[in-house]
Amino acid sequence: MYGKGLKPLSIATVALLAVGLSLVFFYAPLDADQGFIQKIFYLHVPLAIVALVGFIVGGIFAIFHLRSGDSRWDAYSYVSIHISIIFGVAVLITGSIWAKASWGHWWVWDEPTLVSFLIVFLLYCTYYPFRYAIEDRERQARYASVFAVTAGAFVPLNFMAVRMAQSLVHPRVFATSTGGLPGSMMFTFLVCLAAFALLWVTLVKFELAAKSASGQVKRLRRALDAPSPGGRSRIAPEVS
Amino acid sequence: MLGLVLAGAPALPLDEAGKYVAGAYIVFVVLLVIYVAIMASKLARIERELREVAEVAEERSKEGAAAPGRGSETPSISGSLASHGSRGGGD
Amino acid sequence: MTSSRAAFAAILGKDLRSELRTLQALPAMALFAVTTFVIFRFGLDRTQLSGSLAAGVLWATLLFAAVLGINRLFVAEREEGGFDAIRLAPVDRSVLFAAKATALVIYLAALELIAVPIFALFFLDSLAALGPLVAVLLLTDIGLAATGTLISSMAVNSRARDLLVPLVLLPLVVPLMIAASGATEPLMAMGGPGYHRFGTWLLVLGLYDLIFTLLGYAVFDFLLED
Repeated sequence: MYGKGLKPLSIATVALLAVGLSLVFFYAPLDADQGFIQKIFYLHVPLAIVALVGFIVGGIFAIFHLRSGDSRWDAYSYVSIHISIIFGVAVLITGSIWAKASWGHWWVWDEPTLVSFLIVFLLYCTYYPFRYAIEDRERQARYASVFAVTAGAFVPLNFMAVRMAQSLVHPRVFATSTGGLPGSMMFTFLVCLAAFALLWVTLVKFELAAKSASGQVKRLRRALDAPSPGGRSRIAPEVS
Repeated sequence: MLGLVLAGAPALPLDEAGKYVAGAYIVFVVLLVIYVAIMASKLARIERELREVAEVAEERSKEGAAAPGRGSETPSISGSLASHGSRGGGD
Repeated sequence: MTSSRAAFAAILGKDLRSELRTLQALPAMALFAVTTFVIFRFGLDRTQLSGSLAAGVLWATLLFAAVLGINRLFVAEREEGGFDAIRLAPVDRSVLFAAKATALVIYLAALELIAVPIFALFFLDSLAALGPLVAVLLLTDIGLAATGTLISSMAVNSRARDLLVPLVLLPLVVPLMIAASGATEPLMAMGGPGYHRFGTWLLVLGLYDLIFTLLGYAVFDFLLED
């Protein structure tokens, strides 16, 4: 059921990614002050936006889960957060590379966006130890949903607080770079944003399909009363 | 024409800048491929487990054929598994 | 409505009375804070603090002392069946959240009543900052209490609960700490208290308090199911 439509979706994703990357390297003009380095912008910023939206979507799924009790929403929430964390790793590493290329340091505290992203990332990393510390499956799912909702509400608040903490002396490079974008750059940026958003959806669907297949096998085992292999100690969310 | 654009004070010389940009995009690709690899191993496990379950089901259906009076459910599950199994096996 | 208020008062009263009787969490938190100040004195090799350093030392210490109290917040409920009692009572379950969070605010205020004057004694050269600091302390306490109660109630039913609270709580209170130290730093500046962006920071604190109190209140019911 989750695999349905996965093929056209992934084809569309690959196509859009190819178009986007081509635009980055063959169409978008060179930035006046950053030069070729600026090309990282088309990778780093869309990934960050998709990751953050993904976290909030995870929170929204969690709200549905709490209100309906249907465990499918919990699985959607779990996978959304999982894929967003992976995107988050990419955001932090590409951000670090950009920082090194631009300012000579692998990490800078001056960039409010990067710092607030780090905090959000750290918070969502605690999702797993938190989740797996709770043994009862239903309770685990419920508490995880509460966490996802809380964390989702936290994202904008944190962004605002960190941004305010920056002294007004330091220039906000990322903000100005998005603000003063010429049309061709903006177009490239939007295509890349759409491509990565599509990639996120594809990966979420992909992981849900894998979980579902796993769940079907378990279901089959139960129906046939077949012995299962040495069970894992963690109770991961199931999709069936 | 690229040379003209580059003449306008780039932050780093092109070959050095190129390394950083390439590095960033490579990191992205590597992460994606790592994810695919992990999912591939999950898929392999699912395939292995399905095979085991199919074997169990086939044994049951044989027992069911040998000892009549078993429920009609078991043959149909094992029947569909057998046909899928042979299709998968022929890949 | 009145039964909710009665339940709130009952739970709050029980908590405060039991803490006063046993005096477990409060002295530990206060002692921890003072000892931490001493450690900072030697760790930073300074006897006078001002500005951002003073704000940082004060808030880091208060935060970690608070975590000690938050860890223990629901232990009595879990061990003596307090959760079952509130489930059975014909009251809105979020009353437990409100009562516990209020108790936590009171504990934190008591902690600060002891720790902050000692901090001023150790490190500050004037007491002028302490007046406006009360507003910052109060608003931060409410935020810490709301988030702490929420996380503590979830962690109490899990394994490794002592690890879980600091792990999950700390990232969540980062905006609170940013705002609190942002407001405190100019207050403890060398030449005398300044109020650079004081109002803005208080607003951020208030916003955090509002969001997390509402969130905790709305969501607490789901935590008590079963």
